[in-house]
Amino acid sequence: MSISFPHVGSFTYVMESICHEMGRTDVVVPNKPTNKTKQLGSRHSPEWMCTPFKMLFGSFIEVLERGAYELVGTLFIDYCRLGYYTPIYEIILEDLGYDFEFLHLNFNNPTGFIQEMKRRTAGLTYWKTFRAFQIGWIKNRFIDIADKCLYSYQAVELEKGTSQRVVNRAHRKIVETKGMRNIRKLRKIIPKMFEDEVEIDKKADPLRVVVVGELYAVVEPSINLDIMTKLNELGVISYTPITFCRWIDVGSRANPFKRPSFKTAIKKAKPYVEYRLGGKTQESIGYSIMYKEKGWDGVIHLYPFTCMPEIITRSIIPQISREYEIPILSLVLDEHTGEAGLKTRLEAFIDLIERKRKVNGDNIK
Amino acid sequence: MNRVGLPRALIHYKFSEMWVTFFQELGAEVIISPKTTKKIKQEAVNIAPNEDCYSTKLYYGHVMAIKDQVDYLFIPRYGASDKKYVGCPKFIGLAEVLRSMFPDLPPIIMPHYNTAKGRDGKLSFYFKAMKIASMFTKNPFKKIRAFRLALKKHNQHKKDLVIDEKTLYKWEQSKLFLNDSPKSNPGERQLKIALVGHSYVLNDPYASLDIRTILKEQGVDIITSEQMPRELIEKQMDKQNFQLYFYYEREILGTIMHFLESKTVDGIIHIMVFSCGPDSIAGEMAARFSKRNPAVPLLQLVFDELTAETGLKTRIEAFIDMLRRGIDEQIIFQTTKVHV
Repeated sequence: MSISFPHVGSFTYVMESICHEMGRTDVVVPNKPTNKTKQLGSRHSPEWMCTPFKMLFGSFIEVLERGAYELVGTLFIDYCRLGYYTPIYEIILEDLGYDFEFLHLNFNNPTGFIQEMKRRTAGLTYWKTFRAFQIGWIKNRFIDIADKCLYSYQAVELEKGTSQRVVNRAHRKIVETKGMRNIRKLRKIIPKMFEDEVEIDKKADPLRVVVVGELYAVVEPSINLDIMTKLNELGVISYTPITFCRWIDVGSRANPFKRPSFKTAIKKAKPYVEYRLGGKTQESIGYSIMYKEKGWDGVIHLYPFTCMPEIITRSIIPQISREYEIPILSLVLDEHTGEAGLKTRLEAFIDLIERKRKVNGDNIK
Repeated sequence: MNRVGLPRALIHYKFSEMWVTFFQELGAEVIISPKTTKKIKQEAVNIAPNEDCYSTKLYYGHVMAIKDQVDYLFIPRYGASDKKYVGCPKFIGLAEVLRSMFPDLPPIIMPHYNTAKGRDGKLSFYFKAMKIASMFTKNPFKKIRAFRLALKKHNQHKKDLVIDEKTLYKWEQSKLFLNDSPKSNPGERQLKIALVGHSYVLNDPYASLDIRTILKEQGVDIITSEQMPRELIEKQMDKQNFQLYFYYEREILGTIMHFLESKTVDGIIHIMVFSCGPDSIAGEMAARFSKRNPAVPLLQLVFDELTAETGLKTRIEAFIDMLRRGIDEQIIFQTTKVHV
């Protein structure tokens, strides 16, 4: 009766630690999706279903074959298909003849959510179950910090591969830390780890590029072919404001003294897309404008093939690019995306923004 | 200076009665784009974003066809009219995408209406309608009259279109025709087929390659998914653990599930539009349910801008031949059983 979940970028570590906090020792941790996972997922999926569905499905089949029984599934009502993945997975997996059971975690129904979680814990009380979930969302913040550090240090490191090694240790440390007091200390420990261990080129003046777009396409390195690291290899600092914190960080949303950044982004996007229409449409547009105003050099917009809300973003982005003079590169990703094609386009885009900065700098002089 | 343009695509097929009455009562001249032609399609495919679904692409063509003749374009941002279930995100984003892609379009009237997530109720619907009405007239009586008449027309249209369970039962017993009476082929039993799909595909003869006429010529009596009684659909969809939340997709999947269960039709034809998001869900589920319950054959057809009429005709003829042969074989089988 082991519990498992699909691989979703570095959010996997959060899910792993939630499962540990729930008192489960029989956790099947998913492997990183490979080409085989993509093929496995798309073989059994509907033809023009969005790519995250296929990738997650491949990941589910892999963990089922490694002996998992309980699978984490989410349900919610939205304009996007993401809320209805679990029922379709159930139907297809039943037809394929697997033995499994889904956790129906319904985001529209918080009490049902905690009840369902409690049922799967090793006999914890409601309070402890909630506490486990809380530890999950707090750890998610530190995972975000670790990723932010990685993608800025990696761009300017002197010895290639140091920051990758440090982040692997940092992720493990986040997963293994126990006790709320120790966990809260991680906020200072993780940046310190990078500061101490990674030697950086202090003279470098790297470009800064922000990556926006659909959540899964941004956070999962195997669908976007690790675009963040590819940017780092070109000597560019990359950062994504789109993480899972909007999904699970209940704490910062309930905090009246703190204004989450996505609310500012949505406000910025109002003249272009006034009402929420699912996905990350408003956030993508808003963050592009916000980071331009902060002085970042370019924006990369990622979205999976046939994603309904992001096609709308894709159509509006040329106007944003024109009005605010932001260089924006829109990339469609699916299971057939080739590495060489992506790399060439990234290199061309970076050359373009580098030249733009040079020209602007000359003008100022 | 008060010509209003309505593109004949997407939700126009659901709400045209309401909109046309409303603007006409306000004294505006209503210009509806012509029915889809090859020219409209080609223009649409050229200018539309290349990942949109075929029906959304056609919308761009319809807008381009009327943009020079009108002062206003009416493109509502329609989220949902149900308390819980939503429509397609494209309906909400369409007006803003058009404004962003073609800045030289006439001013777009784009009211937002969403009961599922936007907390819009009956009252806000009224206020929004009044706000639009103020653009055309200042007479409050005229405004209210237009609003009431429009709602009345819409409800009447819905009432005429959607049948009740008694009528459905009569149709299943071959006592009446719901659509045009099909050509009768002597010596052959009349087939019954459920034609399932979005209203903006079924009612657009060009987009659906005139599938209704093809079926009529073949001597097939049809019922469409938009005619189905809502209670039956809800009853079928309630069987699921977690409700499918796309409103128009519920209609489609519920119809398929009903006929798979009741076995009162000879076959089901499900029309899908390429790269329509909700259709990919409903199509997959329908195919899986049909595999589990194979008594009623299901034919799924995918339409896009490259679909040719000949190919479609061949497949439909093959499907109908299969249905006819299936019945004959059943009769032989039954008779032999009796004799043995």
